[in-house]
Amino acid sequence: MMKKQTIQQEHVFEQQLINISLCVNGQEQTIEVEATKRLVDILREDLQLTGTKISCEIGRCGACSVMMDKKLVNACLIRAYQVNGKEIMTIEALSQNGLHPIQNAFLEEGGFQCGYCTPGMVMAVKALLDEHPAPDEEQILQALSGNLCRCTGYSGIIRSILKMK
Amino acid sequence: MGNYTSSILKTSRIRPDGIEKVTGKLSYLTDLQIQGMLYGKVLRSQYPHAKILNISVEKAEQLPGVKAVITSKDVPGLNGFGLIFPDQPVFCDSVVRYVGDAIAAVAAITPEIAEKALHLIEVDYEPLPVIDDPEKALDPSSIPLHPNGNLLHQASYVNGNVHESFPHCDVVVEETYQLPRQMHAYMETEGGLFIPEEDGLSVYAGTQHGYKDRFQLSRILDLPETEIRVVSSPMGGSFGGKDELNIQPYGALLALKTGCPVKIHQSRRESVCAGIKKHPMKITVKTGATKEGKLLAHQVRILADTGAYATLGPAVLDFAVEHAVGPYVIPNVETHGFCLFTNNGVAGEFRGFGGNQITFALEGQIDRLADQLGICPLEMRKRNLRKPTDCGPVGQEIAPTNGDELVLKEIAHSPLLKTEKAHKQDSWKKVGTGVALTMHGGGLGFGRLDPAGGKIALNQDGKIQIMFGFEEVGQGLLAVIETLTTKAIGCSTADLEIVIGDTDKAPHSGSSTASRGTSMVWHSLERLKGPFIEKLVTQASAISDYPKEQLVLGENGVWLCENSEEKLVVTYKQLAEEKTVSVETQFDFPTTPNAIPGGHFLYSFAAVAVKVEVNLVTGHVKVIDIDQAVAAGPVVNPIGYLGQIEGGTIMALGYTLLEEAQMEEGRYVTNNFDSYLIPGIQDIPASMHVRAIEDLWEGDSYGPRGVGEIGTIALAPAIARAIYEATGHWVTKLPVSRDEILQSRERI
Repeated sequence: MMKKQTIQQEHVFEQQLINISLCVNGQEQTIEVEATKRLVDILREDLQLTGTKISCEIGRCGACSVMMDKKLVNACLIRAYQVNGKEIMTIEALSQNGLHPIQNAFLEEGGFQCGYCTPGMVMAVKALLDEHPAPDEEQILQALSGNLCRCTGYSGIIRSILKMK
Repeated sequence: MGNYTSSILKTSRIRPDGIEKVTGKLSYLTDLQIQGMLYGKVLRSQYPHAKILNISVEKAEQLPGVKAVITSKDVPGLNGFGLIFPDQPVFCDSVVRYVGDAIAAVAAITPEIAEKALHLIEVDYEPLPVIDDPEKALDPSSIPLHPNGNLLHQASYVNGNVHESFPHCDVVVEETYQLPRQMHAYMETEGGLFIPEEDGLSVYAGTQHGYKDRFQLSRILDLPETEIRVVSSPMGGSFGGKDELNIQPYGALLALKTGCPVKIHQSRRESVCAGIKKHPMKITVKTGATKEGKLLAHQVRILADTGAYATLGPAVLDFAVEHAVGPYVIPNVETHGFCLFTNNGVAGEFRGFGGNQITFALEGQIDRLADQLGICPLEMRKRNLRKPTDCGPVGQEIAPTNGDELVLKEIAHSPLLKTEKAHKQDSWKKVGTGVALTMHGGGLGFGRLDPAGGKIALNQDGKIQIMFGFEEVGQGLLAVIETLTTKAIGCSTADLEIVIGDTDKAPHSGSSTASRGTSMVWHSLERLKGPFIEKLVTQASAISDYPKEQLVLGENGVWLCENSEEKLVVTYKQLAEEKTVSVETQFDFPTTPNAIPGGHFLYSFAAVAVKVEVNLVTGHVKVIDIDQAVAAGPVVNPIGYLGQIEGGTIMALGYTLLEEAQMEEGRYVTNNFDSYLIPGIQDIPASMHVRAIEDLWEGDSYGPRGVGEIGTIALAPAIARAIYEATGHWVTKLPVSRDEILQSRERI
């Protein structure tokens, strides 16, 4: 039995470039990108903001969590055409005026190890605390249930949040 | 909530890499970008087992934007890699043995073009029968996957005579335990940047042993090792999964072929498909004891599915065979282990290194025997525990230790074991508790090349450089190096510059594996500190005229310590202007003197107590409390130690209750985090407590042991025991199946 196997062709369409304007960490940006380019790639490649990480690329791990118009989103699921006119906040914004209290808490309580999930995790904690400054157990678990961490077992992260209460 | 405490969390020292990590400023090797770089992609096999009849790359080469398409013909040196035997082809050209096998690689100006080019490569296959089970692989009628057949490795340990002893046992328990294929699931998938240089190649890609990668790449590229620089740190997690080569051969070959920098960063799907996993094992055990609870005989058969290639399969099996009796004295033992090639993924190094699997079986046997004999599980363990000066588990000489006794004693006091039975429960929720114990060897063991070493220098800028060939995978090695060096030398953290993970800058230290990093940093400093301090105070004495006996190293320089007077005599910068200084050391990880392949000398111990709640309506097992005691010598960095134990424990919780990289006929069913479930924040217990026992046996001069693995071993059997207490059902297969729990209830 012989099988000729050319892998099933997935069309890579010639992409149309569009101009988008967005505000990233307080700075207005106008860029020309493919309409379906992912926000995570725009941040990392076009704007050199590599604090936002790539891991699962299907919205399950939260390593690319950023805030869009003050709401937490997975930057791997947002396309260029969806961010036109939006306000984006990434991990890089948090320490513009020294370390953010969340970052200090993570440092002191072991809220990270390899650090790869950390930018997304810190953004998720920020989104939590913006909404619930003194979160209860259920609010913490809900808010962080979209962010995976393989190193800490989450206990250090929870200690960090409780420290800020 | 959030009762995550430890007796060891006294100080909160901030990790040297901490600020860069919490601010997102740290550049991982997959974050690197450089002008003019190309994007590399690897074509993996469409079949788990097939002959390759033809490979045609012309159409891919003609795609605009493609700069190179390479196959086995483009490998100048050895077309193979592997940490023990180089039996894994860089590129397959005649046969593929698993779905991650590489056939070709492409470099193009964008990732999209590279991806499209992969689709234009035509491969003609002739599918072959798939061996998807190690039992099938053992069958003599099965097709051999490698020239020497399907048995990669066999290991045994026999002492006494189990067959003669079983009739003398009052109770004998026989059981088969099945352990799953766990995925490391590091958050950063494999990748990096490869830059051709005038005199060779620079490789920026994560691994757990940069020098070993350099050696393996040198064989593949046919380049002298000195022409390859490997920068291997930092990494977004590894857990053993990045120790073997992964994308390095492809990035390196593409960069050399094109003369351009090449970046490769595997997608999660590619990572799942090509990456190594933990060995699935089937372990059949027969264990007998007297009615007093004395273990008499233990017969073990281990069948390990190593997948398509060797990597560290033989060593993992040796480790499992060695740890088959753990910390117990059993006069009659017969262990036979078989590591078999199959067409399932590739299994290799994984945190725990065979210890997780074998300990689940061993502790399961102890619990079943204790139950049948009506003896308390803790008491059963105590009655069979080795004495501090006894041999190791395969009769080898080891460093005397009573760590097992100490952790068992400590965990016996755990409040979670004293839960009042009258605990008010919903009738469909049952609570149970369990305890388990483990003993885990550190270092690579007897007969393996296991060199260690480090270097310390006063450089021209007046900085004290401490250098190791280790990698920071997240485990906190930088904090360990900083803590131990400042303590050993006397300088401050500001005086220190830590250099790791770079073959051009750091010396050979061996691998960042096998819980050896912390231990080897300590051993290195024990050797480095005397000569280094001596050199600096001698120099300072010559400059200052103070006798060197009164001089010590301190913050910013050499200090005079005479009576109660303390003053800075000369700064490091001033010393460096006169003369730079360096001291280097090379030695081997201590091993047992007995010629037992892989036999260990230094062990660490852990005992775990766990409380679970089993929902009889859904079959869901919820871990509600974990308490553990760890004996691994002095704690170097409390927050790092705690993090390793807590993180390892939750990884073990995933292993026990959630995780399995399922395969059907040699193909992964679980391709990403939507179907391969690692623990999320909702899965962790509301309470975890870690107790560190820092005492070492009198006269032990081996210092702190690493704790990277010890937290991952004993939880699974403790949970199985707790489920039994709650439901009356013994679990033998991980991850625990909800259906199985429900069905077991129907039977009752």
